Amino acid sequence: MNQAESGNRTKSPVIDVRKVTREYLAGTFTAVSDVSFEVQEGQVTALVGPSGCGKTTVLRMIAGLEPPTDGEIVVYGNSVHGPGPERGMIFQAYTSFPWLTALKNVEYGMKILKVPPVERRKRAMQLLEEVRLSPAAHQYPAELSGGMKQRVAIARTLAQNPRVLLMDEPFGALDAQVRWEMQEMMIEIFQAENKTVVLVTHDIQEAIYLADRIIFFTRNPGRIKQDIILDFKAGRRFRKKEELLEQDGYIRAEQQLFAWMREEIQN
Amino acid sequence: MSEQNSITSVQTGATMVKEMERPASSRKVPKLPYLRLLTPTSSRETLILGVIGAFLFFLLWEAAHYATDEESRRFLPSPQHVVATLITLIVERNFLSDVLISAYRIFASFFAACLVAVPLGIFMGCFSRMRALINPTISGARYLPAASFIPLLLVWFGPTDTQKLALLFLGVIFFLVALILDNTESVQKELIEAAMTMGASRWEIVVNVVGRAAAPAIMDSMRNMIAVGYTYLVIAEIVAAQDGIGAVMMRAGRFLKVDVIMAGILAIGILGVLTDILFRLVAHFLFPWNRRRKQ
Ligand SMILES: Nc1ncnc2c1ncn2[C@@H]1O[C@H](COP(=O)(O)OP(=O)(O)OP(=O)(O)O)[C@@H](O)[C@H]1O
Ligand SMILES: [Mg+2]
Repeated sequence: MNQAESGNRTKSPVIDVRKVTREYLAGTFTAVSDVSFEVQEGQVTALVGPSGCGKTTVLRMIAGLEPPTDGEIVVYGNSVHGPGPERGMIFQAYTSFPWLTALKNVEYGMKILKVPPVERRKRAMQLLEEVRLSPAAHQYPAELSGGMKQRVAIARTLAQNPRVLLMDEPFGALDAQVRWEMQEMMIEIFQAENKTVVLVTHDIQEAIYLADRIIFFTRNPGRIKQDIILDFKAGRRFRKKEELLEQDGYIRAEQQLFAWMREEIQN
Repeated sequence: MSEQNSITSVQTGATMVKEMERPASSRKVPKLPYLRLLTPTSSRETLILGVIGAFLFFLLWEAAHYATDEESRRFLPSPQHVVATLITLIVERNFLSDVLISAYRIFASFFAACLVAVPLGIFMGCFSRMRALINPTISGARYLPAASFIPLLLVWFGPTDTQKLALLFLGVIFFLVALILDNTESVQKELIEAAMTMGASRWEIVVNVVGRAAAPAIMDSMRNMIAVGYTYLVIAEIVAAQDGIGAVMMRAGRFLKVDVIMAGILAIGILGVLTDILFRLVAHFLFPWNRRRKQ
């Protein structure tokens, strides 16, 4: 494992979080304090840390759903002042629109971007195929399982072809087997579309499985504790989890993260 | 190793005994089958029970009628008598036109109330500053009895239809706004945020996300509030009215014709039930996506 700082700095970053602080309760509570990091094109970064350390807050600020109290976030050279379709977000809560069928949900984002109807339909079908949801295309979310609802939300976000994908514990509400299936699917998608991804999770194994880099947060106030590149993966992404587990260095990475987590819990 | 195994098997044995017991006890005939928690009733049974409930009510009424001593029985006519009176009223005294006038007043005033309350409720529910500006005034108005507007409305509009529509309108509007505001604010925050991250415009979100998400709940609020509208019908038609169910009932009251009064009440009841069914049907066809959730 290397410190991320020593990584390649020649390209300008896709996401640049600059000395960001976020206070709540009229400045009496600091959720995130002086956080800075850069995310490069095509990198999958996991934000990990104990509950309440500000992971969600950081992600929401990148999404533009909340303003920083201090500091600035720059995405593709533009300062963030609100949400936008170039930063697709996937929430932990099911956000597929219950009044639209799976297909119409996926079309919705493209409708916002004024994609012509024929093209919209074609791409939506294709994406449903990609998230293995074609048979449920004409069903409403109420008729779908949690995992299927989440697939609808993922396909809907991907349909807008965002350059950055922000995910806040997207599989947190799913049971182990579905979660794993979804993780495999996400790796395929990251690989196929070369997305820049910021993923919030408190599941250490999920972070190692999906991410190239892990930013570990500490709480009270939320700060970066460690920022590591998972270099045992050597830039590879292992679709099969068992292959990942075979890699030298996997166990060490996991041990390290658990040790940090323990420190946090004991503080 | 073998010791451990034996311990394990003993433990498994113990749990097995416990598990055998559990289904046996639950196999017993459940006590109080009509008071079981978390047990849905099939739609067929719901219908049957509903009919039985109504039948019991009429039975009680009938019993009360016969329990009354003979000379005061006309003050509590039997259900058949009331139904017969209702039919006579319709056939001989053109009561149906009164019913239709009342229905028109209810629906027209309620439609106008919705035209105001739905946009206003959604608007306030979406924008907290607008809510802060408007809502205190409106929600305060809920405490004004609608009947207290009657003198004012009579001065403004005279004994006209407009006056009655205005009274019915005022009777429901404030509550309707409050309910719709509540329905709008209950919309899951993440749906709005998801739409925002997709780049949807403010009005797109207000209309096509919040509006659509809240629509079934708003429909329920409307169904409940039109029922409140009915409660104001008689008040509206007591004062300076020549037609409508309420006017007929008032006239009958002056001659102590209890059977006609009760026929009027029955007519309002039937109209109310039909209205309720109408709203449920509309909701059923308008929101197919919400059907499964309801159960
Ligand atoms: N709107 C808010 N008002 C007040 N405090 C808030 C608000 N949102 C978040 N916080 C506080 O900020 C801190 C960080 O919250 P955040 O949701 O970012 O944590 P998290 O790392 O995502 O935690 P978890 O793993 O539990 O999701 C928490 O202590 C939380 O209580
Ligand atoms: Mg969180």
